[in-house]
Amino acid sequence: MKWYILQRIAWSAVAALLILTVGFILLDVVPDQNLQEAQFQAAHVEAAEERRGLDEPLVDRYVSFLVNFFQGDWGWSYEYDQTVWTTIVETLPYSIMYGAPSIILSTFLGILIGLYSAIHQYTKTDYVATFAAFFGISIPNWWFAIILLVIFGTFLGWIDVGFNARLAENANGNLTWLASADDSHQAFVGQEFEGQRQVGILSPANLKQLILPIFVSMTGGIATMMRYARAEALEYVDAEFVKTARAKGVSSWRIVARHIFRPAAVPLATILVGRFLGIFLAGSYLIEVVFGIPGLGLASYEAIIEQDQDLVLVTLLIPTFLVLVSNLAQDVAYVILDPRISYGDRA
Amino acid sequence: MTDRSDPETATDGGLADGKFEEINWQDVDSAEYTRSLKSKLWAAVLGIWALGLGANLFVRYVMADDLFHEIAGVSIPGVAALDPTWIDTIPGLAVADGWIQFPVLGVVALHDWLWSITLAGIAYYAVVPLYEKPRMRRYYWRQFRKNKAAVISGIFLLVIFLVGVVGSRVTDQPTEQAGLDSIPPVGISIDSFVVGPSGQEVADCSGGTCTGTWEHPLGTTTSGEDILISVIHGMEISMMVGLTATALSTVIAATLALLAVYHGGWVDEIIFRWVDIQLTFPAFFLYLLIVYSIGGSLFILIMIFGFIEWGGGARLMRSEALQRREEPYVTASKAAGASPLWTMRRHLLPNISNTIITYVSLSIPSIILAEAALAFLGLGDATVTSWGQTISDGRAELSRAWWISTIPGIFLFLTVLAFNFVGDALRDAIDPRHAGAE
Repeated sequence: MKWYILQRIAWSAVAALLILTVGFILLDVVPDQNLQEAQFQAAHVEAAEERRGLDEPLVDRYVSFLVNFFQGDWGWSYEYDQTVWTTIVETLPYSIMYGAPSIILSTFLGILIGLYSAIHQYTKTDYVATFAAFFGISIPNWWFAIILLVIFGTFLGWIDVGFNARLAENANGNLTWLASADDSHQAFVGQEFEGQRQVGILSPANLKQLILPIFVSMTGGIATMMRYARAEALEYVDAEFVKTARAKGVSSWRIVARHIFRPAAVPLATILVGRFLGIFLAGSYLIEVVFGIPGLGLASYEAIIEQDQDLVLVTLLIPTFLVLVSNLAQDVAYVILDPRISYGDRA
Repeated sequence: MTDRSDPETATDGGLADGKFEEINWQDVDSAEYTRSLKSKLWAAVLGIWALGLGANLFVRYVMADDLFHEIAGVSIPGVAALDPTWIDTIPGLAVADGWIQFPVLGVVALHDWLWSITLAGIAYYAVVPLYEKPRMRRYYWRQFRKNKAAVISGIFLLVIFLVGVVGSRVTDQPTEQAGLDSIPPVGISIDSFVVGPSGQEVADCSGGTCTGTWEHPLGTTTSGEDILISVIHGMEISMMVGLTATALSTVIAATLALLAVYHGGWVDEIIFRWVDIQLTFPAFFLYLLIVYSIGGSLFILIMIFGFIEWGGGARLMRSEALQRREEPYVTASKAAGASPLWTMRRHLLPNISNTIITYVSLSIPSIILAEAALAFLGLGDATVTSWGQTISDGRAELSRAWWISTIPGIFLFLTVLAFNFVGDALRDAIDPRHAGAE
């Protein structure tokens, strides 16, 4: 088992090196069309070329790229006019703000619905749940976000179509859990009111604007989780030990909790471990763009539009590495939690 | 010398006096095995296609515009002497912007080359066999028919496909028309200040509100493009990208999986170590990175999807083929001296077709979604009108012209949903082991 885990870590390291190399090749060796097209930003081009040291030999550039990357020296973002590292640190909390609740909620709801639907297989509820899962997997969640914005923002007017990032900050512009502020606070530009209002991450106004992003990024997650849980639980619904327990007169609640969920929980738990790290996945990227949440995804998108090279590379590499690590964590957790698994065979 | 041959079975050919191992069976095979007209035709189509695409690429990227020189900085000796204008001297052909202009077809875009061979391949490997074997056709239809949702989905997809392919040929690409912007769909009223000035003349405007007109049944975008036409053009793009990239990745996956399974050992090790590494990457970010750095023409998009997407499929096919490899018929075929290619094509490939179809049905919708997402981010091909692009067009105007983003999305959603339903039903119909409502 130790051997397997070591091997798995080694392969992840190889993969990480590979993706770094791919990133280096794509952005450095291939003639840079984007930079050439952006000739009017001549100063940027020169600075970029000088900093990247295009006169140095290829190997030196590659080595210094790797060294810089591992040292956290990720370059300069022209769009934000600060280092890439600072940009990442500033945007990350916004991604976590809706990402973390969405992952926790979707995992538990998904498992619950999946279990319920497995126990009541071929009933109407099961069909409804299965159909809903189909719906959740098929709907592009960024388009779903648009639909919800149209319904709740345009037609019902319950929420603002734009995202007010300042609502999570205190009067000094720092993120805070909960504080009160008067109408000089930047979140309330253009509004005048008497007294104090609450701001901060946990303030009602901020939570209200997070509801839709959380809900939308949950749809795909719940559906996937539900299908896993249902398939996993179905393996045990007709197992001998469940029949025995039923024959002995064990209450149905206890059967579900102790005889079906327990063995099914192992693979589900590993998925949970994997998903916790994979907060910033493809769907969330687009969700941030649609809602205008200033998280990692939106930063990356704007960097792509503005051709902010260093920021593009880092904002694309970070999620890649997170997925890499979460896959690793998932596999390792699986081996540790389930002694039955044979880890020699790849098939 | 005794006559070893059996007079009962001996023919008057040359075979009668040989031992089994003395006969050159390859000669016998090649003498008796003639290709059918159908497969000759298919080979001819493939040949013409490869010749056309090859010539097109050569003229464009070697003769007109030395791509190799651009990337590597070194010229291949002699290339500079080549001049694309000699194509003009061939009757019927001409050069336009470095691309060959064919008679009747005109310039064939690179993605259209891929699209055409994919359609031909689907016809040859799926439609023709079903047409020729009515019993098989009836059996599959009976199985498939059990699932009502899948039948409806199948019809829907067929309609999308036909309307998209035919509609994109008979209508021009939607163009920006200043002033005609933001006309609502038929039956929808909107404040008249939203609609552009010449749009107000076209649409039914009175008393401060404008109602949609049948001239633009689904309304127009913020730049005055007709949404119905955009949607029709988007149908072909989605189908093209989904089917073509899936075809490419399926060919790669099946070839590598079969090679790995047949040869085993280090071939297997190398191929599937690579798959292990490739599968740890989140594909979407790789797409973003590549499209950002080398550009996202439709051809490049299809290539990227095709070359990145195949890992999961290869893994599925490998585990299926591993079981098939142990079957007696594979051993028998090897014992009879069949070549590796023959064993793989005639014995392994047909028997893993269940897995292949499962993979195809999962892959098409995911690629369609990926293309739409990239187009929505503005990283797709700007020269074609796709659903994702139209959706992003209306994103800034959600509170005023909400229909621009929602209408193309409905088609995208329904198409993906339909592919998922059909895929589910196909899996049930073809593979009797998975009966039930999973």
